[in-house]
Amino acid sequence: MILKIDMTSDIPIYQQIRNQIVFAVAKGDLKPGDDLPSVRQLAQDIGVNPMTVNKAYALLKEEGIIIIDRRHGAQINASNNSGLVFTKDFDQRLELLLAEARMKGASKQEVTTHLLSLIDSVFQ
Amino acid sequence: MLMTLIIISWVIFGIMAAFMLSYTKDLQHHQVLGVTLSDSHRETTEVQDIIKGYKRVCFLLFLLFIALSFLLFLPFARSYAEFFLLILVLVYFILHGWIVHIFQQKLQELKQEKGWIYRQNRIVRVDINVLKEKGKAGVSAAWVWLFFILSFLPTVYLLFSPAARELYPIGFSFIGPFCQLNIVFLYYRMLNSHTPALSDNTEINKACARTLERIRTTATTLIALSMLIFWLLFNLALCYREGFILIILPLIALLAALFFIAFWQQKRIRAAENYFFGSELQDESHLYEKEACYKWGFYYDPNDPRLMVPKRIASMGWTINIGHPAGKFLGLGIIVLVLAILIFVLYGGAKDYVIKDSGSQITIDAPMYDLSIEKSKIVSVSTLDDLPRSMRTNGYGGVNKSFGHFHVDGYGKCMLYMYAKGGGYVVLKLEGDNPGYVIVNGKTPQETEALYRSITEWVKIKE
Repeated sequence: MILKIDMTSDIPIYQQIRNQIVFAVAKGDLKPGDDLPSVRQLAQDIGVNPMTVNKAYALLKEEGIIIIDRRHGAQINASNNSGLVFTKDFDQRLELLLAEARMKGASKQEVTTHLLSLIDSVFQ
Repeated sequence: MLMTLIIISWVIFGIMAAFMLSYTKDLQHHQVLGVTLSDSHRETTEVQDIIKGYKRVCFLLFLLFIALSFLLFLPFARSYAEFFLLILVLVYFILHGWIVHIFQQKLQELKQEKGWIYRQNRIVRVDINVLKEKGKAGVSAAWVWLFFILSFLPTVYLLFSPAARELYPIGFSFIGPFCQLNIVFLYYRMLNSHTPALSDNTEINKACARTLERIRTTATTLIALSMLIFWLLFNLALCYREGFILIILPLIALLAALFFIAFWQQKRIRAAENYFFGSELQDESHLYEKEACYKWGFYYDPNDPRLMVPKRIASMGWTINIGHPAGKFLGLGIIVLVLAILIFVLYGGAKDYVIKDSGSQITIDAPMYDLSIEKSKIVSVSTLDDLPRSMRTNGYGGVNKSFGHFHVDGYGKCMLYMYAKGGGYVVLKLEGDNPGYVIVNGKTPQETEALYRSITEWVKIKE
């Protein structure tokens, strides 16, 4: 699995790391039980402060996507049923994105077609 | 002595010139003199003309400074030989950086004029599977640790040899292990340095990572070995004092070895990257501007948490981030240190030592090595035509004069105050052995003779 970090993006680096790991798990590039590199190793290779990677891992752990074990380090959570999927926060974020698309003039049909293609991309 | 100093300066100029010429090689992928350029742009006539101009200036600079070093044979420069050479080397370093800066500016102007704009955003690709296997393919760390331990051999020898400790303070024997420890630190940095993951195929990325790890750790291990060999030979030459040449030759060999190892490493890394990522490297869409924040020629980025950053041209080494709070102090400290060395060398070279008698004692007024000798402590006064083999343990050893703590064959620990053209020496034997003797002379044989007469008259003892 390849992480692509844009060092000049407005999106914080820890957020990029978190987002890409989520995508990788969703697409099956990272499977339950797979090891992730240590905080120090990943930070050194990207060229950032270890606190940045630590923050990304902490987010993922809070969301139940990874578990951190003292002996084995960070791993993708084998039991990925972390409870309710469509939380209030999920709905709010999706509603906001849809509202932005509508505000820019997209029709219901256009949004639906676009969403379906993105769904195909993630679930392929 | 003068010729030795001149030869050392030529070696320094030669190595700097070789480094300057290596900056035009595209060893860092799409970088010429630290400026980002695609392969196609690099091959244009305008860029090639700038590179040729740069090489011409490098050669001229080298020849100019070789010629300037001959000025040392002139009487006015000979009196301040050490200071003059130090200034020459410093000016060469400064000019070296300034010339690189000028030609970097030329390339930047050409890029702007031609509209050669590359992507500004920098994307770092990291293959997670490669990271998991880091540290498994390199040369074993046991070698650099072994070399570190072996560098303590001179210290062990000094611990068991009181005679050797008189020639060579035990504190100096820790310089070698300190340098080796830095190489151990460098080894681990090399092991953990970023490996490019340009392919979407993880197996190719892993193969490249293993190869690069092997090259980097081999280079670091060879550096450690070269430094260990130099350190042991250096100590042998000091302890057995077989001549200055046995110190100079290993030093020249070490500098040459370091240069070739660095060059070999860069070349092999480039070859490996071309082999594994040949097609990806042809695709210049991944090119991005690698320019960083520079102010007055120094790296300045208060948002960068690093204190030390690699220079724009990686083989030039590292530079301080003067935007970092500690960087300001470090930079200032280095400037103060260089000034202090310059002042010491100038003061030592310019100021003569003066011998005065004042009733019950003789005072020798020398820069940083003053000495007062009570008349009652003087056992005898004699003369010497030639000084036996001697070694400076703590003092100033210049072309025209030397003074300070010396170990002289047959005399042991001495305080020496001598002019190179003094003709002979006056030897004062003292009570005790720390120092056992004070050896002085005048600027000319006549002054030395007069000095001997005045001291014996003062002591009223003649041998």
